Amino acid sequence: MAVVAGVDVGSLCTKTVILDGNGKILSYDIMRSGHYYKGAAEESIENALKSAGLKKGDISYTLGTGYGRGAVAEADAEVTEITCHARGAARLFPEVHTVIDIGGQDSKVIGIGDNGRVTNFVMNDKCAAGTGRFLEVMALALSVDIGEMGDLFFASKEKVDVSSMCTVFAESEVISLFARGHKKADIAAGIAHAIARRIMGMVGQVGLREKVVMSGGVAKNAGVVRAIEERIETSLLVPHEPQIVGAFGAAIIASERMSATIG
Amino acid sequence: MDAKYKVNRLQTTNEIRPLVDKHWADLRTAKERGELVAWASGPSFIFAYAMGMKCHFMAGYAAYCGGIGAGEEVLKVAEMAGDLPETCSYHRLHMGMGEAVARGIPINPQAILPMPDLMVAGRLCPEMSHYAEGLHRRFGVRVLPIDLPAVVDMEDMPRIREFVYRQFKEVVIPTFEEVCGKPFDYDRMSEILSVLKKVATLRNQCWEFFKDKPSRWTLWDYGVSIAPVFYLMGNPAGVAYYEKLLKELQERREKGIPAIAPDGEKYRLYWDGWLPWAFLGKFMRKFIPHGAVVLCGRYPWEFFPHPELIDPEHPVETWADLYYGMESHLVYTFSPKGTVDLIGKLIDDYSLDGLIMFSSKTCRVMNLAQPEVIDVLDKKYGIPGVIVEGDMIDSAMISDAQIETRLQALYEMIDSRRR
Ligand code: SF4
Repeated sequence: MAVVAGVDVGSLCTKTVILDGNGKILSYDIMRSGHYYKGAAEESIENALKSAGLKKGDISYTLGTGYGRGAVAEADAEVTEITCHARGAARLFPEVHTVIDIGGQDSKVIGIGDNGRVTNFVMNDKCAAGTGRFLEVMALALSVDIGEMGDLFFASKEKVDVSSMCTVFAESEVISLFARGHKKADIAAGIAHAIARRIMGMVGQVGLREKVVMSGGVAKNAGVVRAIEERIETSLLVPHEPQIVGAFGAAIIASERMSATIG
Repeated sequence: MDAKYKVNRLQTTNEIRPLVDKHWADLRTAKERGELVAWASGPSFIFAYAMGMKCHFMAGYAAYCGGIGAGEEVLKVAEMAGDLPETCSYHRLHMGMGEAVARGIPINPQAILPMPDLMVAGRLCPEMSHYAEGLHRRFGVRVLPIDLPAVVDMEDMPRIREFVYRQFKEVVIPTFEEVCGKPFDYDRMSEILSVLKKVATLRNQCWEFFKDKPSRWTLWDYGVSIAPVFYLMGNPAGVAYYEKLLKELQERREKGIPAIAPDGEKYRLYWDGWLPWAFLGKFMRKFIPHGAVVLCGRYPWEFFPHPELIDPEHPVETWADLYYGMESHLVYTFSPKGTVDLIGKLIDDYSLDGLIMFSSKTCRVMNLAQPEVIDVLDKKYGIPGVIVEGDMIDSAMISDAQIETRLQALYEMIDSRRR
């Protein structure tokens, strides 16, 4: 059976997943999108091909998704990241009914029916509040590595509120909390709770139905995951590599379309 | 995207432009002819028309400015004058126009209206109060505020109808009599209503062609045809327009011509909220290539869907009833319950596949409870919906990528439910 690729061109990162004919992941790639989405898509496909020991001609069908889905020159078709995240999450966790995806510059909550298909969704793609970019700015303000933010959450001893939702205002709030002598860990936890609060509102709109999967780069931050779990009073299922769920979903759809063409 | 969809343009809709242009040209030059001018928000413009005043209606001006491409420049003037971008864009548009004239800032001359002798602020929403207050404070316009309360439950309707009717009789009509220096012309109001009754009856016959599968026309075609049941009310040219439109639609049916070529639509959609007046073409281009056609919507369906209830012999009573009656109750569709009732009926009547809830970022009324409305209707009818944010005229509030993702996601949801 044919080898296919799913390419998710996000505003911050581009991800590619290559599946073999049995739906098994042969390789994947994650890289920064930069400002030239077309180039990023090409490079990411190239990287994934290389890791799988394949060449361009081996791919029978490519499906583009994400904000830059129109920039995937190789794509045979495009599908939105909403459908792709739902399909990817449902393949990884068949019992999923809600997906929380927090990416570089947007966040979405997707409701999934018993058949693994999207029932409804909400998206915040208007501002960076509560997204990966928000966390990056906060990490800079705290002078810590973005990777440390999650661990800091668990070292927190005192509750600190970060009330601003706006990235710019939250940054100055963090600086002033620092100036008032609050500990890094407590502020980091406050930031995670601020993100969780925002997500909670979106979950409320879609309606919480278990099981809940969290995808996107921010799912790598254990602090944010815990803060969301506390808010929604449900544990989250986080895939081994949460950032590629959309690209994985795109590859699954590519596979189905391929078999439909052949079959 | 499979088939190459293209819109089949209607011929008749080309004929609306001269009618609309004449209306606005008459309004622009009214003072030169010594005529009195009124501005209105809410359903009060008919009283000005009955008195022979030239009158403009808030949303009508927005639609017109959108049509002539003047919206952006007028909004810019408002912002320069200190109006916040979060303010309703209908409000900003009027302030911008007033400020442009007051400060001598050049804007498209077709967008300039004379300041009114009376502004009747029919307050359906808080923004309409601010708008009237702004006109009074900034430009010294005489304002007559009237309250048009929201109706959440039908059982409240009779008493609110009485309250509104009494305002028409006891406040609106005497004020027009005072401003115009003559008795109120009930006969003219009856004439206007008879013409409206004819036009809206023909228009309802045209609506039937949305029910065809494939549909014979689109909501956008109706959007440009709204003026005869709206600010061209009482103008007999509206009857001729709709007769012609009806004939063209009948011909389309006979010849099997769909609204979109080659074979008609793949998705039949509902549109909630205002029409994006300045971006009708832009939105159309987001639907047609996907085989999607928008067929009906809450706002365009507000314009007198029950012409059989119009009773020209009792003009003021019937006018109150059209908005607040037990059978025709336009204001009820502003409430979440009323919205659900209306859309539910449209889903059945027009065999809809999906809902687009257009959420104007600055409107305080139309967006009420849109997520809940989607949820309730999905549960009841199994029809998905998406919220698309934007604005009627302000391009700063429109993000193409966001809109496209949501629309594409809607098509994908419809497809997945069909499988
Ligand atoms: S209903 Fe909406 S668009 Fe109309 S005046 Fe009020 S806020 Fe503005």
